[in-house]
Amino acid sequence: MTSIHARSWSSSMLASLAVMASSIAAGCGGPDVDSQPTDGAASDHPRVALIMKSLANEFFSTMADGAQQHQREHAERYELVVNGIKDERDLSRQVALVEEMVAAGVDAIVIAPADSKALVPALRRARDAGIVVVNIDNRLDKEVLEQEGIAIPFVGPDNRNGALAVAKSLEGKLATGDAIAVLEGIRTSFNGTQRRLGFEEAASGAGWEIVDSQSAQWEMSKANTIASSMLREHPEIKAILAANDSMALGAVAAAKATGRGGDLLIVGFDNISAVQDAIKEGRVLATADQHGDQLAVFGIEHALTLLDDPEAKVEDRETPVDVVTAETLR
Amino acid sequence: MKHQDVGETSPKRSVRQTTSSLLASSIPYVGMVAVLGVLVLIFGLMSRNFLSLTTLASLANQIPDLTVISVGMTLVLIVAGIDLSVGSVLALSSAVVGALMVDGGWPLWAAVPACLLAGAGCGCFNGVVSVYARIPSFIVTLGMLEIARGGAYLITDSRTKYIGSSVEWIGTPMPGLFVSPAFLLAVAIVVCGQLLLTRTVFGRYLVAIGTNAEAVRMAGIRSEPYAISVFAISGLLAGLGGVIQTSRLSSADPNAAVGLELAAIAACVIGGTSLAGGRGSIISTFFGVLMITVLQTGLAQVGASDPTKRIITGSVIVVAVLLDALRRNWGKAHD
Repeated sequence: MTSIHARSWSSSMLASLAVMASSIAAGCGGPDVDSQPTDGAASDHPRVALIMKSLANEFFSTMADGAQQHQREHAERYELVVNGIKDERDLSRQVALVEEMVAAGVDAIVIAPADSKALVPALRRARDAGIVVVNIDNRLDKEVLEQEGIAIPFVGPDNRNGALAVAKSLEGKLATGDAIAVLEGIRTSFNGTQRRLGFEEAASGAGWEIVDSQSAQWEMSKANTIASSMLREHPEIKAILAANDSMALGAVAAAKATGRGGDLLIVGFDNISAVQDAIKEGRVLATADQHGDQLAVFGIEHALTLLDDPEAKVEDRETPVDVVTAETLR
Repeated sequence: MKHQDVGETSPKRSVRQTTSSLLASSIPYVGMVAVLGVLVLIFGLMSRNFLSLTTLASLANQIPDLTVISVGMTLVLIVAGIDLSVGSVLALSSAVVGALMVDGGWPLWAAVPACLLAGAGCGCFNGVVSVYARIPSFIVTLGMLEIARGGAYLITDSRTKYIGSSVEWIGTPMPGLFVSPAFLLAVAIVVCGQLLLTRTVFGRYLVAIGTNAEAVRMAGIRSEPYAISVFAISGLLAGLGGVIQTSRLSSADPNAAVGLELAAIAACVIGGTSLAGGRGSIISTFFGVLMITVLQTGLAQVGASDPTKRIITGSVIVVAVLLDALRRNWGKAHD
């Protein structure tokens, strides 16, 4: 990444152009242009690198905004470098970003890993270089961490409990034995799996029958196609539980198209702004707010604590998840 | 066997045409209808409710965006170009509608032309740069793929815009009728596209340019305006696809239609359009779209796992193209 330090408008523009050109030349596998330098480069402050997944995803851009807001308010405590990858599945680019940040000599890395296993070796090298590493959003795999012989603290919400809580908002609206369907995220994603498990736990607890469960890859249009098919194949479905809000909105459109707009119950996860309108209109019943804007901040604060006190115990920290319904939005 | 395909017109055609034109012109579709029939039959046997009117209605509801984009793609492929930017341009146009209606408070009738303009503008850019600078359209549209996607994120601030009921009527089945206005529009565009290609001078020039651009130039025809307008049409149709998808989902999603260009290219190729230019049929492309959509819906309806879905979709594309190639070779041998 070329534009780590503050520089004049024109030269960073040139850098962006160069980055874009190289990204096109590399067949769209190049770096993201979302590198945001912070101003005021007093060198005695610790430098924290925030490495995100795709900054084109609302969830992560909100998270980055929250972190930058926090840095502006605490400019005397640390400097912040924010980087994201272009595509959530672009693992190799994220590994390269970690290496670049190590080479740039940052003091701490706060990372939302695009993959819970593949990033571990790169993060171990960062740790070997004496850098504090904090894991946010997507939890790194325990076994791989053990194999690599390192402990990295995780700061973030419990997605499984969050999904369980969202699903519980259906209680009282569904009867025992009622049919429900699940729209899963990408199967290799830890968060996606946790949310599915949370939904399943709620279903088995309340005695609902999951008649269909498919992955719609987190995407609205795919969810629309799949939910339409589910509703045709199983007209008895009374509720659709989607592992994120984009897929919930896709299910809303499917319900409308299959004439189920009035009675089908839909829940999502993430509390993106678009879903709030759908909740107010009664098309979506509930979603989960994991306070995305604060997630990176929690991670950064944890990293700063570890920097201040190298002897501090490395431990995980759970952040809150709240259920959002028409009631809470009022 | 090959009379239907534009660009391979045989001199005998005009004589035969009067007697058996209907029969002859439907022959190339027989193979595709057969494959479609087999797919529908298999899904019908494997699931409880696939063979029903609601499935048909839902298919009609799902295909319009891919259909209009594939029509544009067919025209681009015929002039021996390619347009990789359609998915991103769709997202950009959708973002324009979303931003204007949600943030700007524009009514639908004002937002739609702005969105179509955005699409056509991207297409014009593709055309002008690739034609006048003689850069392969593969590269120019690859650049536009990035630019338009970035534009979509910029306009929406990377947030999905929820528009709600004011756009829904375009993609909702009309009362008393089976299908949505979007579907009727898509069918109309397929028909117009086919007529444009086979019955107008414009269409014949496109085929000629795709077959041998140098010969066209020697004949004293300036091919540039034709090639540029084809890219502009593709952009415009991508913009229309954006309107249609936005209305179907009631939301503008900046991440929409990633990879849709590949589905459109697949639909064209299944329909026998040549990637080398000079040959293609829009009706056949429409069958390609149907095949891809039936596969998608059917596989979801039987609850196939994700790896299975991908493997089967890929295999069916290859088999369909293989069958088309066999039919073509057989046709040549017996002409």
